Amino acid sequence: MSMPERLKPLLLPLAALLAFEAAMRLAAVQSDSLAPPSAIALALAGALTDGSLLIATRDTLASAFAGLALGGAIGLALGIALGLSHILNRLMEVTIEAIRPIPSVALLPIALIALGFGYRMEIAIVAFACVWPVLIMTRAAVGGIEPRLIEVARVLRLTQLDRVRKIVIPAALPRIFLAFRLAAGIALIVAVTVEIAINPLGLGAGIMTAQQALRPDLMLAYLVWIGVTGFVLNAALMAAQTTLFGRAALTGDGA
Amino acid sequence: MGHLVMRALVGSALTALALALSPAKAEKIQIGCTATSDCASAMIAVDEGLFKKHGLDAEMVLIGINSNIPAAILSNSIQIGGPTSTVFLQAADGGLDLVAVAGASIMNKTSNDAIAAFVRNGVTITGPQDFRGKKVGAPGIGAFLHVLFVKWLVEKGVDPKSINFVEVTFPTMADTIKSGGVDAVLTAEPFVMRMTNANLGTVGARYAAELARTEPIIFYAASREWAEKNPETVKKFRAAIAEAAPIVNNDRDKASAAIAKFTKQPLDLVKLTTPNHAEPVLKPEQLAWWIDVMSTQKMLQGELDLNKLILD
Repeated sequence: MSMPERLKPLLLPLAALLAFEAAMRLAAVQSDSLAPPSAIALALAGALTDGSLLIATRDTLASAFAGLALGGAIGLALGIALGLSHILNRLMEVTIEAIRPIPSVALLPIALIALGFGYRMEIAIVAFACVWPVLIMTRAAVGGIEPRLIEVARVLRLTQLDRVRKIVIPAALPRIFLAFRLAAGIALIVAVTVEIAINPLGLGAGIMTAQQALRPDLMLAYLVWIGVTGFVLNAALMAAQTTLFGRAALTGDGA
Repeated sequence: MGHLVMRALVGSALTALALALSPAKAEKIQIGCTATSDCASAMIAVDEGLFKKHGLDAEMVLIGINSNIPAAILSNSIQIGGPTSTVFLQAADGGLDLVAVAGASIMNKTSNDAIAAFVRNGVTITGPQDFRGKKVGAPGIGAFLHVLFVKWLVEKGVDPKSINFVEVTFPTMADTIKSGGVDAVLTAEPFVMRMTNANLGTVGARYAAELARTEPIIFYAASREWAEKNPETVKKFRAAIAEAAPIVNNDRDKASAAIAKFTKQPLDLVKLTTPNHAEPVLKPEQLAWWIDVMSTQKMLQGELDLNKLILD
């Protein structure tokens, strides 16, 4: 009865999978949207070996990261500017609060006509979605910097650029990184959604193609793989955060 | 002086490059279709090298939802697409400057017989009037099957407003019927056979067979701007499609293989159903019936000029 403690948490999901497999087989379910776990595993292995899954993953991650980089850069620049200048912040507030609630996916019809299928459209939509969390968290992080640090900058007569480079960014960095981590999750979700809705590339399009090809096993294999991708991405970003910022990352306060 | 010489040199080099590249390279076009057998002529033309034979480097793009095709054409993501008649006419009515360039599939006895309103167990339909008050799933509101069904109801004297239409995509139809989420779905083969074999219900109406029309289901369309700028490409495309259509209609094995390859559906499944009849020629009067039906269903706002919808 000695079972390594680490395996115990796996018991419940494993039992659920087995029960699902048994139910699917015993009831001889014929479905275009469900498939037994064994068939899903086979489809996953097949899609991994023929390379289609890896190409789709590359396409999705490339769009997600490019969108994250673009949207994150815009959000970061605006966030720092708005965090430093009260006047600018008040001036921009209405504009930002008016644009921010637009669901990024609602821009799809316009984006399709303006940019067409492909990476460009997906990157633009992902970037739009990523601007806001980075902007708002950066603005808060910069606004919340210990006032004495700003005073030091003033005493040292640092230029505006040096002030941002030497004081503001380092002080706000842990929280900015946290913003990027959250935005990365959003980027993956939005990228896959764009692919499911319109764009014929990547993991989302893979799900849709498998569904229309009446291959529920492959469709669910894509779903499982997207889950794995998201999990790995989040774990990597968490690890990076703890390594780079240590305890500061956990409190979200770098000052 | 030096600048002028430089510019002349660069200019002539570019001209030479352009001249060297243009005749050798086959023209590249992308053709967007959904995962149905309607664009089988284009699939065959790709697989049998007919596009290549006519000097076209054609690639087919799988598009998830038919109503995205007009926007994809206008953004030049695809140069030619296979919208359904209803999607095309609504887009043209909405002001998108699209033009039909060749026929893809038309309704005939085989395709009409393949269409059905499939009713779940526990619901009895003896005639059109029995659909009153029922919840009916269509692959899209205003889509081909939905418009046909509404036309059939009107012809039978049943008010379409008395029916609750919802959207149910083809792959989810069997499960939705099984769970009782809808009372009936508007569907076609191979789904009718699959649901019948799984004892999920019965065929409630063969509405397309009763209408017995021969108008186009899907045809190839492009943006007017592109089509007018590239008359030679359109000509080559038409020639390849005209050669491919008889293969679709006469060689089931080749057609099934091409359809399975493009839609990624299992070959065995594709083989079970006859592909929709390919008809490369498209005439203005074939669209007249659709315009009439859609206008009566209040799906079109303006007046469409039949002669402008199809490229000469």
